[in-house]
Amino acid sequence: MALKHKDDNYGHPTFEYVERILGVDVMLTKADDVLHWGAANSLWIFPMGTSCCAIELMAAAAARLDIDRIGTIIRGSPRQCDVMVIAGTITVKMAPRVKKLWDQMPEPKWAIAMGSCAISGDFYRDIYSVVPGVDTFMPVDVYVPGCPPGPDALIDGVKKLQEIIRARRAGGRPPREARPETAAQIRPAIRRLCDEDRDPAITAAQMKAVLEMDKGGAEREKA
Amino acid sequence: MIDEAAARLVAERFGLDVGVHGPTVPPGRLLELARMLKDELGCGYLCYVTAAHFSEEKRGEETLPARFVVVYRVRNLDRNTEFPFRCEVPVEVGVPSLAHVWAGADWQEREAYDLVGPRFEGHPDLRRIMLPEDWVGHPLQRQYAIDTPHAPWR
Amino acid sequence: MEMTAPRSASATRALPRANPYLDIESYEAEGDLMVLNMGPQHPSTHGVLRLKLWLDGEQVVKAVPYLGYLHRGVEKLLEKLTYVMSTPIVDKNDYVSSMTNEIALCMAFEKLEGCEVPRRARYMRTIVAELQRVASHLLWLGTFALDMGGALGGGTSVFMYCFRERELILDLFEELTGARFHYHYHQVGGVRHDVPAGWDARVHEVAARIRERIPEYEQMLADNPIFLKRTRGIGRIDAGLAQELGLSGPNLRACGIPFDLRVLQPYAAYDEIDVRSVTAEGGDVLARYRVRVQEMEESLRIATTLIDGLPAGPIMGRKPIETPNAVRPPAGEAYVAIESPRGELGTWVVSDGSPKPYRCKIRPPSYHALSALPWLLPGTTIPDVVVILGSLDPIMGEADR
Repeated sequence: MALKHKDDNYGHPTFEYVERILGVDVMLTKADDVLHWGAANSLWIFPMGTSCCAIELMAAAAARLDIDRIGTIIRGSPRQCDVMVIAGTITVKMAPRVKKLWDQMPEPKWAIAMGSCAISGDFYRDIYSVVPGVDTFMPVDVYVPGCPPGPDALIDGVKKLQEIIRARRAGGRPPREARPETAAQIRPAIRRLCDEDRDPAITAAQMKAVLEMDKGGAEREKA
Repeated sequence: MIDEAAARLVAERFGLDVGVHGPTVPPGRLLELARMLKDELGCGYLCYVTAAHFSEEKRGEETLPARFVVVYRVRNLDRNTEFPFRCEVPVEVGVPSLAHVWAGADWQEREAYDLVGPRFEGHPDLRRIMLPEDWVGHPLQRQYAIDTPHAPWR
Repeated sequence: MEMTAPRSASATRALPRANPYLDIESYEAEGDLMVLNMGPQHPSTHGVLRLKLWLDGEQVVKAVPYLGYLHRGVEKLLEKLTYVMSTPIVDKNDYVSSMTNEIALCMAFEKLEGCEVPRRARYMRTIVAELQRVASHLLWLGTFALDMGGALGGGTSVFMYCFRERELILDLFEELTGARFHYHYHQVGGVRHDVPAGWDARVHEVAARIRERIPEYEQMLADNPIFLKRTRGIGRIDAGLAQELGLSGPNLRACGIPFDLRVLQPYAAYDEIDVRSVTAEGGDVLARYRVRVQEMEESLRIATTLIDGLPAGPIMGRKPIETPNAVRPPAGEAYVAIESPRGELGTWVVSDGSPKPYRCKIRPPSYHALSALPWLLPGTTIPDVVVILGSLDPIMGEADR
């Protein structure tokens, strides 16, 4: 009955009808505000803690600087959480698990890279088993630098994330945080630690093994 | 502090000089020495097993082949003494496993195998422990570059 | 030749050993045989440990731990860095007790280089090592209580209390070194910072506060019948197997073996003070808990006694180094072990006369503690797995390196 106005840009006719009722638009605006406020202030953290930074993450949740005060709760399951805090060095063996856990988290989701190992690999970045920064395989919203960053720095990072969420919810597009200077230096590969003992055969064999592994996977899927 | 009773017995039965860093035992007699240390001398505490890789080198006239030095250290906690010993083998040759003498040698040898590379013969479960199963090479060998790539992660 | 009978192994009756190499194919299950994967991302695995558990009903019949999710190649990195650059690297190995890591490495290098440490620096090393032991045990106690979870009526309360006290010690370290966590306080030949004014008074203050709170934990835990039920007789390891596996520190002392490197091979300033090594009987989870809690009091006593008698003098035994490459220890090797909060932390270093170590092996107590898991877990149930794992106090950064 009230579906006459073709120029309306609301997609659903029910919305249009509801919006026409007197006073509803005011209420909807308020509801939107409530949603913004809720999304930013009830971030549930999934602690992807692997090493030293995980202890500081625990310290942030502990007595002195209670991270619960800004509405965050630390939960053990990825399916309940909004923010993944990657605290610690991510190794080649661990990286597939991190990716899997990140994929298991429901949208909308955010990631905080806590500590220099998660940001760039720190001084482990040149080592055969360490991933040089988690943003090589997943998006990161906030970088919290330090080795390890104190609990106060982590809380600052969560507050920064809240600002980003509020700005996005309000329709703005806050600029993505640039990678810190130290991390930018390492890619493309400017190696700080050049190895003169290199045996090119091992590198070649490693690459070949990885390629064959992929091929094997594809063949397995076909079969 | 090196166990004097052990040093005496090793010199007596094996004809080896103990010195500061312990005797170098031929791989064939390693198990015999281990059993002697544990059963006769009460060295029940296995401190560590590790290995070092030495690439081929020229020492004077002769050329030493690439080799592994496997290092052991056991303790007698009652006498508060310790006894280090070692075994030197070329890279192709295996080292007898001591996992059946000291239960802890199992994981120690797995780590040494994974990172350095000597094969422990008779080990109950010789798999990689630190690195993924599909890894190529042993990182603590000299020719292994520290920044070896591992696609797609690094 | 007179030989004393091996007291420890024979005196306590050996427990029947589980078979960690059980062939699961030929195992006949009474109930449903099920494989349960625990970790590597699990809140109560104390890091990134993965356990594969075969369950017969609710009973574990076989447990296979998988390590290496935090393998950062520290030993390879140490081969590539000069002796001077190495100390801050090992800070991150055992990340809840950075001080002792540094001491272990520095002492090995000192032995190799033949470097003397002044008496004041040795005192400082001992003081910070003991304070670090208290901080580490507090963290262990908090997370261990967290593992017990609901059994304690909301396990987070002990966790919160322990972290409150731990922060006090971290504040002391922050004042001393400028860092909360990774200190880089020790270096070859001594320590880097002298005691700030009034620090000794604050050490006394903190020690007094922690000392009066330890009985509160005892009341919360050791007087709690549920806690006792979940820890007494659980995860028993007999002294013989513990020795073979190379367990050390509180884990071994809980088996009744007074193996404490501070007493047996005194280093730093331990030869100038009477250290009481805490032991307990039983080798179960409760014994490990008792050893650690009593050790905290002992460590506080050592730290406060030493800081009262802190001698005057220099804190560095050698001139400042201008070029790292100039430090070339003579060819040779050295093994030095110290008593870290988790046990014997050793460093075996081989030098070939160049500015970098040829091979540097770190003997981590956590790795040895974890190697007891395949022996300890069969026959227990899932809730006990978490408790046993927590009681061994493993730090994965150190086990995987």
